[in-house]
Amino acid sequence: MARWQIKNVTLRGVTGTVPNRPVKSADLPFFTQEEADTFDATVGIKNRYIAPENTCASDLCFDAAERLIAGLGWEKESIDVLLFTSVTGDYKTPPTSAILQDRLGLPTSTFVLDVPMGCCGCIYSITVAGNLLTAGTAKRAIVLVGDTAMRMGNPKDKSRGPLFGDSGTAMALEFDPTAEDIIIDFNTLGSGYKALMTPHGGYRHPVTQESFVEEDFGNGIVRAPKDALINGMDVFSFAITKPATSFKKMLEEQGLDKDNDVDYFLIHQANKLIVDRLVKKLKLPVEKVPYNLQEFGNLGGASIVMLMTSEISEALSSRPLTLLCSSFGLGLTWATMVLRTKPMVTLPVNKI
Amino acid sequence: MTNLEKLNNIFCEVFSVESSVLNSDFNNANVDGWDSVHQLSLTSSIEDEFDIMLDAEDILEFTSYDNAKTILAKYDIEL
Repeated sequence: MARWQIKNVTLRGVTGTVPNRPVKSADLPFFTQEEADTFDATVGIKNRYIAPENTCASDLCFDAAERLIAGLGWEKESIDVLLFTSVTGDYKTPPTSAILQDRLGLPTSTFVLDVPMGCCGCIYSITVAGNLLTAGTAKRAIVLVGDTAMRMGNPKDKSRGPLFGDSGTAMALEFDPTAEDIIIDFNTLGSGYKALMTPHGGYRHPVTQESFVEEDFGNGIVRAPKDALINGMDVFSFAITKPATSFKKMLEEQGLDKDNDVDYFLIHQANKLIVDRLVKKLKLPVEKVPYNLQEFGNLGGASIVMLMTSEISEALSSRPLTLLCSSFGLGLTWATMVLRTKPMVTLPVNKI
Repeated sequence: MTNLEKLNNIFCEVFSVESSVLNSDFNNANVDGWDSVHQLSLTSSIEDEFDIMLDAEDILEFTSYDNAKTILAKYDIEL
């Protein structure tokens, strides 16, 4: 059982950046106006920000990181760890985190790591950075989470394209002996890996001419093996069962009363139907469950970080909070995290 | 409105069809566009309409008009 209890680590700040290119559902090539209206009403994703081809997740994260480091007043020399959490890095090699160390002007002593873990990216990277900081050997970490997920898929795949938006976010974590423990429940179901995957482009199936041959799967789904795919029914059965079980277990084991002990429930913004389902299943108080998928779409691993930035920044900056976070995605993996925060630096969403 | 009419209305709204096509052949194999979004949309509407909470296993089994009626019977919804 992967149960983490990370001591001595505080979240000091958070922010996010999106490309300044809002795209409404009706503007997407997948939909007629009527289909877009239905999609907006059911899936709930009415808008998303899509990066131009020459903008990478690292560029959006770079902007978020620069602003956050400045907002915190941290000397760059004081930063020990830099994580880049993304499935859309700049290159296959080298790690994008190394490139960002240089771009951000961080010291050569920085420990860098790429964490390509998809929709659980926020909780994964807090787990990794938290464990790196907990002993106090390293004191400060910048954790970047972002993706340009739209372009991973085929522009003719209606089952995937409309769901995602692009963003880059930054979190700052610091060694702090007075911090409350961060509790994380992590789970993996590798047998389900085919539910969310990009079949060609790795070393199991390198890119060949065959990788570009498109197939029509019906229902508006056209894609080639080089394109990321979503097996909707498999993801759906996973998403409506596993996360709720982990969530419920965490509440019980930590003795948390959902009405009184938790300030906000931050749920991965996969789509409205799935988030609503979790809220209903767990009987969560709806006023404590912020949504931002209507504005940003599914941001993958950055989803929870952007919820903090766009929906609860005032509360985060002004008072201690108890957050219960839930994410689920690639792997298949799912996680629940109890994060007790102190007042921190929050900077508004930047559009570049 | 009877429970059957309520059920039919939900199917008609979710799949944009007339109630006359709702029969034993109306299932995820035969209906264009019956994907995970439609299935979750369908079950969410049914939960709201009949004030029930479906188990995840039942949501996954909600793959035909006939199954819908069988599953609703489990929740004491008389059609």
